[in-house]
Amino acid sequence: MTENFKPKITLFHCINAFGDADELFTNGSKTCEIKTVKMACSSMVKDVFLLRAFEAGADAVVVMVCPEGQCRYVEGNIRAKKRVAWVRNLLDEIGLDGRRLSLTHMSAGDQAAATRTINDVVKKLAELGPNPAV
Amino acid sequence: MIVGKQKSISEIKSIIAPFKKVLILGCGTCVKTCFAGGEDEVSVLASALRLACKMDGKDIEIEEFTVERQCENEFIQEGAPAIARNEGVLSLACGAGVQAVARRFARTPVLPGVNTTFIGVLETQGVFTEECAGCGDCKLAVFGGICPVTRCAKKLLNGPCGGSQNGKCEVNPETDCAWQLIIDRLRILGQMDNLRIYVAPKNWQTSLSGGPRKMVREDHMI
Repeated sequence: MTENFKPKITLFHCINAFGDADELFTNGSKTCEIKTVKMACSSMVKDVFLLRAFEAGADAVVVMVCPEGQCRYVEGNIRAKKRVAWVRNLLDEIGLDGRRLSLTHMSAGDQAAATRTINDVVKKLAELGPNPAV
Repeated sequence: MIVGKQKSISEIKSIIAPFKKVLILGCGTCVKTCFAGGEDEVSVLASALRLACKMDGKDIEIEEFTVERQCENEFIQEGAPAIARNEGVLSLACGAGVQAVARRFARTPVLPGVNTTFIGVLETQGVFTEECAGCGDCKLAVFGGICPVTRCAKKLLNGPCGGSQNGKCEVNPETDCAWQLIIDRLRILGQMDNLRIYVAPKNWQTSLSGGPRKMVREDHMI
């Protein structure tokens, strides 16, 4: 891994899964830089947005969705999950490694789980290294 | 509609390899509906190719544009300025669209980004099935609106083979037996007598087997 590598993570989150992730991560971790993108529902996360996040320099992208069966719009989180799986395959095909993109189910406002997720991604990036397409 | 599937990233990369400025040209009609070449697919492919080319250390400019229909000059014309700015065009239309654009812009390489697959319908969200072989001699009136030429693996025209089991085809158990569907439908329509109609062996001259076809409507010509 590159020395002094401070990973850049883009976090797409449903506002119902996590009200204001900005606040959580502004003070957040010194181990990574986090950009957050709020969505009214995780189903709004289109495949091109995920890819553009990597084009914009993200080393990893995380999508936080509501637990299964608890989507306010019934099936938004299921759609998001399928789309993320599709883009992961695409990233593998490109050679960028689909493990850079992950989806996490998150109970509303569960700050500890959110921090844990980010820490896991940072650990994974220690293995994967910086985004090779930047 | 015409159903197609986007080619793999590796094949597309090799197709556009000789060019440094490429236009990805989408089509807003059939291939948009089957998620192969509409505006959304153009932007996803452009993004994926930019990432892939950066990883390969290849310097490439990719422009995106989508026209309503690539198989008509009137719509193709809208893409002319973008086509002129690029060395090559990667068309996400069906084969007809690719050729129509190539014909209109004779000096620009026009390359296919989609494998055109069949004429079909959207059966349920995300599932497309082949329903028409474009044989040029439609007999759907006899078969209760279900085409055995396309949907029967053996293309039988006068009743089922002996291999149909529980309404499924013996060639592929995941496929409904077309003749089971035809008989069920004729029963509902009260047209079981249609089964007495002898359908003569098909004259394939009207299909692609007779060479490329042409249709002329003189009343619409200027």
